[in-house]
Amino acid sequence: MKGSKEKLQIIIAGLLIGVVAAVLVLLGNPANMGFCIACFIRDTAGALGLHRAAAVQYLRPEIIGIILGSFLFALGKKEFSPRGGSSPMTRLLLGFFAMIGCLMFLGCPFRMILRMAGGDLNALLGLLGFAAGIGCGVIYLKRGYSLKRTYKLPASEGGTLPAVALFLLILLLALPSLLLFTEEGGGPGAKHAAIWISLLAGVIVGGLAQRTRLCMVGGIRDAILFKEFKLLFGFIAIFAAALVTNLVLTAATSGTYFNLGLEGQPVAHMDGLWNALGMLLAGFACVLLGGCPLRQLVLAGEGNTDSALTVVGLLLGAAFAHNFGLASSAQGPTDNGKIAVIFGIIVVIAIGEFNLASNRKKG
Amino acid sequence: MIFIATFYSHFGAMRCKKECDKAGISARLMPVPRMLSSSCGTCVRIESEDAERIPRTEESEQIAAEEAGGYRILWKAEES
Repeated sequence: MKGSKEKLQIIIAGLLIGVVAAVLVLLGNPANMGFCIACFIRDTAGALGLHRAAAVQYLRPEIIGIILGSFLFALGKKEFSPRGGSSPMTRLLLGFFAMIGCLMFLGCPFRMILRMAGGDLNALLGLLGFAAGIGCGVIYLKRGYSLKRTYKLPASEGGTLPAVALFLLILLLALPSLLLFTEEGGGPGAKHAAIWISLLAGVIVGGLAQRTRLCMVGGIRDAILFKEFKLLFGFIAIFAAALVTNLVLTAATSGTYFNLGLEGQPVAHMDGLWNALGMLLAGFACVLLGGCPLRQLVLAGEGNTDSALTVVGLLLGAAFAHNFGLASSAQGPTDNGKIAVIFGIIVVIAIGEFNLASNRKKG
Repeated sequence: MIFIATFYSHFGAMRCKKECDKAGISARLMPVPRMLSSSCGTCVRIESEDAERIPRTEESEQIAAEEAGGYRILWKAEES
């Protein structure tokens, strides 16, 4: 009974999130990018001047909204729980490489679903790699991988990232001249819905994800580990709702929100191998982290400082990806990006092996 | 009675399950129920007459008893 209610809540949340994500594109966000945690953190890094890729600079209110939405829902339900101390530096590094993988593919797992819902068949290869990466991570979980326990922390620690998110919102509203913005027509950074709409969408998604623990990685991980499909239903619900909304919008408006095929897909490239390997790295790193980038934002909003540091790792990864030419573009992956993804997979394997070795020593 | 033991890591849950198997206590791994925690992860569902028999490790977070409509927390790790 408890399980079926939980499943229903996850499906409803997934459906709502799918609709919100698709409608955000109608209201101005880049195509197939109503939400993309990786791209939006990358745009935010650009707005703050952490990289100088002029096409991708905008302080995305969706990211702020997700953190604040999770924070407010957690406070309201007495689930705000400041904690941390579970291998913070390892998490930061895993976050960094998860971002490198995402920017090879051009999207986080959330956007991977939205790309599929927009008819982008390149994302199917991403999904294949993502599932393989999760499978690699599960092998380490089964062998005894652990980032150790968290400890209770003062509220001021757990509240830091939500406070930073609020500060960034104030900056965006009151002092936008301090930030960098992509010029009109200059790239995906210039495409966005109105600030308040983006913020509200973020709060809704953050709140729903906090209540249901929705996680793109968790769905496939739990299906492999326990044959438990609850979280996976959320994943499928987002896809179904976004797909239907895209089809309806295509029929009802002059725009094209669904375009089935491999070629000419928005903010995407057609190199199947590197789409798959990028998402393999992202999936692998995220299993070792315990959740996808969306989940890390939500946990950070609940007061988890380890997840907050993972978000910092994602931000650093985004800045590096654009400062060193690691991120792909519509023309395809770069040589630097390919080296970085292979290096990232090696680093994640090394993290897993060192972790197992230290656990074995401890007995 | 049904008990749910939660852990700070999947590894902790696996160790508990092994200990249960050794002691002949019926146990299985499953995702942590939402009603019990906002954290996702692995827990061990244990059928036992006595909560005291449930093995605890340094990765144990809490032990709860399943009741009609919810769970009753019986034990929580320090500083959790």
